[in-house]
Amino acid sequence: MAQMWITMGPQHPMTHGLWTLRVKVDGETVVDTEAELGYIHRGVEKIAESRDFTQITPYCDRLCYVSAMTWANSYIYAAEDLLEVEVPERAEYIRLISAECQRLASHLMWLGAYGPDIGSLTLMTWCMRDREMFLDLLQELGGSRMHYNYPRIGGVKRDIPVGFADRLVAKVKLFEKRIEEYEMMLDESTIWLVRLQGVGYANAEDMVNAGVSGPNIRAAGVNYDARWAHPYSVYDQVDWEPAVEKPTSVKGADCYDRYRVRMEEMRQSCRMILDAIEKIPGGKNTNYSNGDEMILAKAPTRAPEGATGFSNYECTRGASKFYIQGGGDGRGKNPYRLSIRSPMFITIPYVAKTMIGYKVADIPAIMGSFDPCIGETDR
Amino acid sequence: MGMRVSNEQSDSAAESCVAILSKRFGGSDVVSTVEHHSNAFKMAFVRIHCPPQHWPAVAKSLRFDHGANYCSMVTGTHFPEGSDDRGWEVVYHLMRQPVVDQKPFTNTVLVASELTGSDIPLEFEILVALPQGDEPSVPSVQSVWVGADWNEKETWDLVGIRFEGHENMHRVLNPHDSPEGFHPLQKQHKLRYHDYNEMYDDAQGFGRKPTDEGRVK
Repeated sequence: MAQMWITMGPQHPMTHGLWTLRVKVDGETVVDTEAELGYIHRGVEKIAESRDFTQITPYCDRLCYVSAMTWANSYIYAAEDLLEVEVPERAEYIRLISAECQRLASHLMWLGAYGPDIGSLTLMTWCMRDREMFLDLLQELGGSRMHYNYPRIGGVKRDIPVGFADRLVAKVKLFEKRIEEYEMMLDESTIWLVRLQGVGYANAEDMVNAGVSGPNIRAAGVNYDARWAHPYSVYDQVDWEPAVEKPTSVKGADCYDRYRVRMEEMRQSCRMILDAIEKIPGGKNTNYSNGDEMILAKAPTRAPEGATGFSNYECTRGASKFYIQGGGDGRGKNPYRLSIRSPMFITIPYVAKTMIGYKVADIPAIMGSFDPCIGETDR
Repeated sequence: MGMRVSNEQSDSAAESCVAILSKRFGGSDVVSTVEHHSNAFKMAFVRIHCPPQHWPAVAKSLRFDHGANYCSMVTGTHFPEGSDDRGWEVVYHLMRQPVVDQKPFTNTVLVASELTGSDIPLEFEILVALPQGDEPSVPSVQSVWVGADWNEKETWDLVGIRFEGHENMHRVLNPHDSPEGFHPLQKQHKLRYHDYNEMYDDAQGFGRKPTDEGRVK
């Protein structure tokens, strides 16, 4: 039978955003693929060159609309490296809690979007219901549902409100039970297992060489995580261990392993949040006023020419990184160059190649299991 | 309880790496130093200044002798007002990750405090300065790290640095029919013009007139 190219996307349920996957098929079998990106390239790197360091944070929020808090934090840690800022410990705890709440919300969004890919629409409604809890919590902090502009260079915008701790604990504890419900629904579902198991193998060394990171490599049996390997924040003080799966084949992790590792990661995030809210310096029900030295340190606004800063950050989809060169316009008020590493930008071309050899019907299952987000991919 | 790589571990890993690199590339212009982040944990990383002609040898050495198995990011920068030998700069960020393939039904739980020698995660920053000119080019390391492939594509697309030996180079973020030689992160492209905002009125800058030269806000 003659081989032919099929174009999936930019408008296709599989893509989870705007991009195109061109697939060369031989009957039902995928023999070659090509990813085309750039549909929503907004030029954040260029815009940042004409904004000062504070003004860049909201742009970083908008890099990924599912995981705004982690992206803003990711930028902030690089900016603090550039500007040499020491952050108060209470602010680091608040950042940890907010980032982990965001991780829960992001993983729920992933699971919710992955369900319809596989054929389970119930899953999406359940996930949206639970994600709402964490969006409410984040709204209490940042004032907005999706783009919070919450972290600041040197701390956070405002302290946790009074009563936030109780609501946080109640919701996280409720969600811990809900995770079990999800597992009961999914791990017992024949459709779910048939579609996910034995599909989309990827092994650890290949993935690292190709630049894949985060939950996707932890699914292949190695607990490499920027949160302990390139430490930031106070992850060394709270109770957690990186989620890691045991792959079932020499070929590495399949879609099911990647689903399992994210479920486990949600559990670890819950554990971290519950521990951190108890250990927070200054007390969980205290509310320091805006700009108090407990939550915000003074930071310089200018960076000299030649100064650089970068930092690794464990985003929800993998390791993100910002690299900033100081000494831009306004006598160093703006960055001269700001460069963003997006984990999905590197992962999507790799995933496209892992589909070779599987059936066309497996494409949504494989692509969805890597959790693509096009907002951060195209920047 | 949580864990993290300690400062002693990262210091010793970076120092031993720099000692070996200095010995290997001692006579050339490759200069490697141990640097520290200036935010909270002050972790060490290795910074290497490398002339473009030595970059492939340094890359292979990092990959195969020092275990830098992960190409994190490639950044190109344009310095139109820089010195003659630094009109452009390419910065590579590499990482070392102690990741190995797993046998079925096994996993490796890495415990930070027990990692030693070349298993300690480490960051590398390689700065390759390129001379002034319209055709900056640097050897490609696509064959050393698969992950460098799309990073280099992006750097060429946005900054216009040519990667010698890169196969299948094409536009990734800009439209595929962008004019040849249009690379938006070069510094001659400005966001705002005298009476209109290019960001909104002419996002790609294709409608720019020669008379606009020098009238940038």
